[in-house]
Amino acid sequence: MLWYKAWLDTRWRFLIGLGLLAISAAGIVFAYPRVVALLPLVPASDTGGELGRRIREAALLSREFRGYIWWQWFHQTAPQEWTIASVLLGTGGLVAQGSSGALFTLSMPVSRTRLLAVRAATGLAELFLVALAAVVLLPLLAPAVGERYAFADAIVHGLCMFAAGAVFFNLAFLLSTSFDDGWRPLLITLAAAVVLATCEQVFRGLEPYSVFTVMSGDLYFRTGHLPWLGIAASAGVSAALFSISTVNLARRDF
Amino acid sequence: MAESIVVETVELHKRYGAVDALCGLSLRVPAGSIFGFLGRNGAGKTTTIKILLGMAHPGGGRATVFGLAADDRAASVEIRRRTAFVSDEKDLYDGMTVAEMIRFTAGFFPRWRGDLEQRYLRSFELPPDRKVKALSRGMRTKLALLLSLSRGAELLVLDEPTAGLDPAMTEEVLQALVGHAAREGMTIFFSSHQIAEVEQIADAVAIIDRGRTIVAGALDELREKFRRVQLVFAGDAPEGAFDSPGVARVRRNGRVLTVLATAGAESILDRGRALQAVSMDVVPVTLKEIFLESVAAED
Repeated sequence: MLWYKAWLDTRWRFLIGLGLLAISAAGIVFAYPRVVALLPLVPASDTGGELGRRIREAALLSREFRGYIWWQWFHQTAPQEWTIASVLLGTGGLVAQGSSGALFTLSMPVSRTRLLAVRAATGLAELFLVALAAVVLLPLLAPAVGERYAFADAIVHGLCMFAAGAVFFNLAFLLSTSFDDGWRPLLITLAAAVVLATCEQVFRGLEPYSVFTVMSGDLYFRTGHLPWLGIAASAGVSAALFSISTVNLARRDF
Repeated sequence: MAESIVVETVELHKRYGAVDALCGLSLRVPAGSIFGFLGRNGAGKTTTIKILLGMAHPGGGRATVFGLAADDRAASVEIRRRTAFVSDEKDLYDGMTVAEMIRFTAGFFPRWRGDLEQRYLRSFELPPDRKVKALSRGMRTKLALLLSLSRGAELLVLDEPTAGLDPAMTEEVLQALVGHAAREGMTIFFSSHQIAEVEQIADAVAIIDRGRTIVAGALDELREKFRRVQLVFAGDAPEGAFDSPGVARVRRNGRVLTVLATAGAESILDRGRALQAVSMDVVPVTLKEIFLESVAAED
């Protein structure tokens, strides 16, 4: 029944995340014919600077549907939306419940670690389902615009998104064991994501090690190799954040 | 045979920031009793209950329930398996229906009493399909009680069970508690600042103030020990003659001296005779007076 309770607590955030990512994925697929029509207008000459480099790279990749999807969705759009969805699912929980049942939950013969584990497992399962549902839409909808997209590619990218998104999920989850409202964990985690993204832009050398690079599946797209190191590092950070959450909750007075 | 103790605290301390919530609270709740835990708002009642149920950690001292240490994580789970709890907020899950709340709670308690569940569902007239958030405060209290009484628990802990209820609903809740305790033989530990209701159903009490126990014992014994003695003298009542251990308060009003005794009236009467009081009356004291005098003595 703890699982059912966790589902009731998170279902709206799950559905919001699912809706957001699904609409975004579908929108990207259906926009492809218009993007192809615009490609000849992209200047071939060097317009200079970082912006010019990016426009040329986008135009180059968009000549193929796989490249277009990676650049427009996995690289540009999804990291923002996926981060928001991950953070949304990570917030809430026992501390934020306040007078809406927190003491009732704590009066059950269950350890706080188990309560936390069930809530985390439910949130991560939902996160995985959102990732899976969104990426599977790409091969399913591709024929509608006369293209093909491999299911294997979609699944691998979904895995990368999930691994990186779990970091933000667990950071929001940890902060939710410290603050008794849903807003501060949400805003602090999003601020942390913005800071990470900015650092990545300012210090280009950090990009290969960035959580957003893992999220976009950059290595897989460019080389066909799974980013095992990035996935393992993300899993390690997530596990560490979850461990701190359990210690935090165990020490807390209600 | 030694009296069996279900709840015991020894020199319990708890501090929240700069505020001392408990300052060496000691308590013993006998098995099978209906134990009233009295105190003003902020006296430390809820903090004590939270420590007993593992919801807050003690800063010092010892708290045990069924002989198990309340601040031990594994023991705390076992304590909660054998204990039912109703919080003062009656906080339940607003998004669930009455039936879902029952199903959710029953899943945690192997000794769940389906017969009691059905009985209280009928007698409390709870609508199974209604969402908790749509229940009135009274119905919410009844649901919280149903969920507690049906657990097959040995100890029922209630924090201000009748807070916010009208007199009729209060009476109904108290009768349900007394009836249940009599039938099932469970221990009930309930906090309140409603003295009348404690006096109505409790057989033992503890009065706490500023995080310390100031009076504790069986209600009948307390009533026996606490006596108001009114002495009338021929001239002005003597000053300072009764300031001794066993005297909580002395009031002089001309020829009349009123003494609140905390250890029986005999020694007061002996002293009155020696001082040649012209009349002496011993009046029983209500729990409300015991409470007010005890708390006033602390101020």
